[in-house]
This record gives sequence, structure tokens and C-alpha cells, in this order.
Amino acid sequence: MTIDWWTLGIQTVNVAVLVWLLQRFFWRPVAAMIEQRRDATRRTMAEAEATRTQATAALAEIEQTRAGFAKERDAILAAAHAEAETTRTALLAEARTAAAALETNARTAIEKANQAAGDAWNARSARLAVAIAEQLAARLDGTAVRAAFLDWLVQEVGALPDAARRAVMASGAALEVVSATVLDPAEQQRTRQRLGEALGDDPSIVFRTDPALIAGLELRGPHLLVSNSWRADLDQILLRLTQGAETNDVPLPSHAGSDQPVCPKAVPAATAEPNAR
Amino acid sequence: MKSPLTSTALFHAGPVPITGAVLVTWAIMGFLVLGAIVIKRRLSRQPSTTQEVFELIVDTVDSQIRDTMQVGPAPYRAFIGTLFAFIFVANWSALIPGVEPPTAHLETDAALALLVFLAVIWFGIRAGGVRGFLGTFATPSPIMIPLNFVESITRTFSLLVRLFGNVMSGVFMIGIVLSLAGLLVPIPLMALDLLTGAVQAYIFAILAMVFIAGAIGDERDIPHERTAS
Repeated sequence: MTIDWWTLGIQTVNVAVLVWLLQRFFWRPVAAMIEQRRDATRRTMAEAEATRTQATAALAEIEQTRAGFAKERDAILAAAHAEAETTRTALLAEARTAAAALETNARTAIEKANQAAGDAWNARSARLAVAIAEQLAARLDGTAVRAAFLDWLVQEVGALPDAARRAVMASGAALEVVSATVLDPAEQQRTRQRLGEALGDDPSIVFRTDPALIAGLELRGPHLLVSNSWRADLDQILLRLTQGAETNDVPLPSHAGSDQPVCPKAVPAATAEPNAR
Repeated sequence: MKSPLTSTALFHAGPVPITGAVLVTWAIMGFLVLGAIVIKRRLSRQPSTTQEVFELIVDTVDSQIRDTMQVGPAPYRAFIGTLFAFIFVANWSALIPGVEPPTAHLETDAALALLVFLAVIWFGIRAGGVRGFLGTFATPSPIMIPLNFVESITRTFSLLVRLFGNVMSGVFMIGIVLSLAGLLVPIPLMALDLLTGAVQAYIFAILAMVFIAGAIGDERDIPHERTAS
């Protein structure tokens, strides 16, 4: 066994050269290509990751925008609901106000109607009461009643101011004494006497009858009218019942056609008995 | 049949005898280099099936280096890969009628073992410096220095003898059987010889990686990727 040292050396150089050549033409280029492809793959994956990140961000943005849409829609709906609620509340308040006004008007109308009905019933009641009083008073006519009326007449005439009595007497006109029934001569004489005393002179007196008076004596002259009869009293009562029942503030009637001061006749109370005065 | 332990010069280039193993080696070199040039020219970002096969080879070599040496493959890829490729092609060159594998000759195997021996020294010094490389002989203890030194020599011879013995015996057995039994009988032995050749190329490359990894010591604990080798 021998070793050919030349061959050993040549083969050593051959393999060393082969290592160098293959490193230059095979191992390094192929490894570089693999590395390039890996880099490209990494870049592609990085780009894909970046794209995915962008897509995720875009998706999140879209979701956010959608959420914004939903919020905006909710806000619009809430605003619409609030506006509708406000409008409804306003309409309800307006309706309540209108209803209250209608109710007030209705109440007022009802009260007026009730008042009118009450007044009507009061008037009817008053007329009925007066009619009853007429019937009753008519049964009271008599000498004593006429004497009482004469006293009241004289009392009223006496209460007239002096100027009024002188004016009555100065006119010289005849005075009328109106009664419900015909006075007998004695009563006429006493009446003439008492009035003369009250007027301070001897007036000219004419006696007349008026059944409408029911009972009583009234003195009538050109400038004088003294109402002193059941009729006058009942008229005063009826007037008070029909017009002044609510306020009890009944003005005494003035005598139409008389521009002179008149002697107001005290109106007796509606329930008072004539004899009680 | 001539003895496989002898090398016959086919011709002389001056004082240098050119044997058949050298010629076949040159042919293998030409084949590999030309193939590499063609592959390089056809490299593309969109790899063809052929390119994918060669990229798979490179990737496999890299993964073997990582698994065996625990370092980045770039500085060692060309040396380890070329050793494997050359031995593999040389062993399988026996398929060509009339061609005797160069690895069946002692000088070629000795040259490969010598290159591994030199590569161990080169990569060891490159990784840890002269002191670091010499320090590897003192592991695990300084008393092991003589044994480690002798081992570095003997393992080189073991590489030489293992590769030479396996390839040469295969070729020798095929020759004996062929001379005794005829044309078709050696075919199973030739198939077995192909398997043996591939396994021996793998073993040679793995052992070279183990020896180099032992020489670079603690450097392999830090994986690194060197682009230049």
C-alpha cells in the first residue's frame, strides 16, 4: 500500500476549489434567493398585516360611523319625541284651558240661567204672594182700616216740608182723595178736616173711588202724590221682591210726571200686619 | 483485477502524475460547477420545480447544520454541503460503466479527511481565536489534552478509513462478484452500494459538522448567521 502524495495534494486542492466554486455559484446564490423570498414573504405578510390592520381600523371606523348614525338616529327620535311631547303638553294645556273656559262659561251660563229661573220663580212667587196679600187685604177693608189709613195719610202730609205744603196750597188746585170704596159723609168730613189741619189751610178736596187700591186713602194733586193704600204697599212689596230681592237694596219709586218733591210713603214690611204699625 | 490500494497514473503533467481518480474528480467538479452555474442563471423569484428541489437541498443542509452544530449555517454551508455533494456524486459515479469512484481511492479520502482536519482548525481559530481553539483540547480537564490531541488525529484517520473502506469494499465486492457470476448478479450489490454511498456521504458530512462544532466550543451556544463565509 502506497500513497501518491501528488494525487493527495491534487485532490485536496480539487475539493477546496470545488468548495469555493460551489460556494460562489450554488450555495450562496441559492441561499440568497431563499432569503430574498423569505424577505419578500415577510414583507408581503407585513403588508398583509398592515392592510389587515388598516382594514380592521377602517372596519372599526365604519362601525363607529354606524354607531354614530345610530346615536344620531336615536337623538333625532328623542328630539322628535320631545317635540311631540312638548306639542302634546301644549295642546293638552290649551285644551284644558279651553275646557276650563268652556266650563266657566257653561257655569256662568248655568248660573245666569239659574239666576234667571230663580228670578222668574221669585217674581212668580212675589206675584203669588202679592195676590194672596191682595185677597187677604181686601177682606180687611173697613172703617177702622180707613181710619188707620187716614192717620197715616195725615202723618205723611205732616212730614212734608213747609215749602211743599205751601206750594200745594198756593196752586189753588183741588186735591183728590182716592179711596177703594166710597167714603160716607162723616168720613169725608173727618178727612177734609184732618188734611186741612195737616196742610194748614182749607184745601179744595174731591173724593173719588178706585177699587184697585184695595184699601187706603191716596192724596193726589197737581204737584203732590201721596200713595197710601194696600195697592201702593203691595206694589212696593212686589217691586222689592222682583227687583231687589237679592240685594235688599230697593230704591223707593219716584212718581212719574211729578217734578216736585214728593213725600215718600214708608213701605211697610211685607210680612207685617197693618194693625201692627 | 488491480488492487484498490494502488493508484496508477494515466499520464503525467510534468512531474505530476495524473491518476484516474483525479480525472473523475475533475469531471465531477465540472459537472457540479456547470450545474451550479446553470442553476444560478435560472434562479427566479418564482421558482421552478428544479429550483425548488435545489432550494430544498440547501435548506436541508442548513437545518442539519443548525440541528447538529447549534449555530447559524451560513459560514459552514458551503464546506459541509460541498463535502456531502462531492462524496455523494463520487460514490454514485460507480453507476457509470468504466468509472471508478474517486472515493474508492485512498488519496481522495485522505484529501477529504485532511480538509476536514484543516477546516476544524480554521473554524476553531475563527470562532474563538488560537487560545480558544487550543483551550478546546483542555476540556473537560487539562489532563485530557494529550488524549484530545491524539483524538483529533485519529478521528481524521477514522474518517479516511471509514469512507475508504466502505466505498472501496463495495467496488471491490462488485468487481469480484461480477468476475465470478456474470452481468446481472452484481445489480443488487450495486444498489446496496448506492445506499452505502449515500449513507457514507451523510455520515462524513455529519462527522465533519460534529468535529467543527467541537472546535468552535462555546461559540455555538450563541446562534448567529454570517452572510459571508
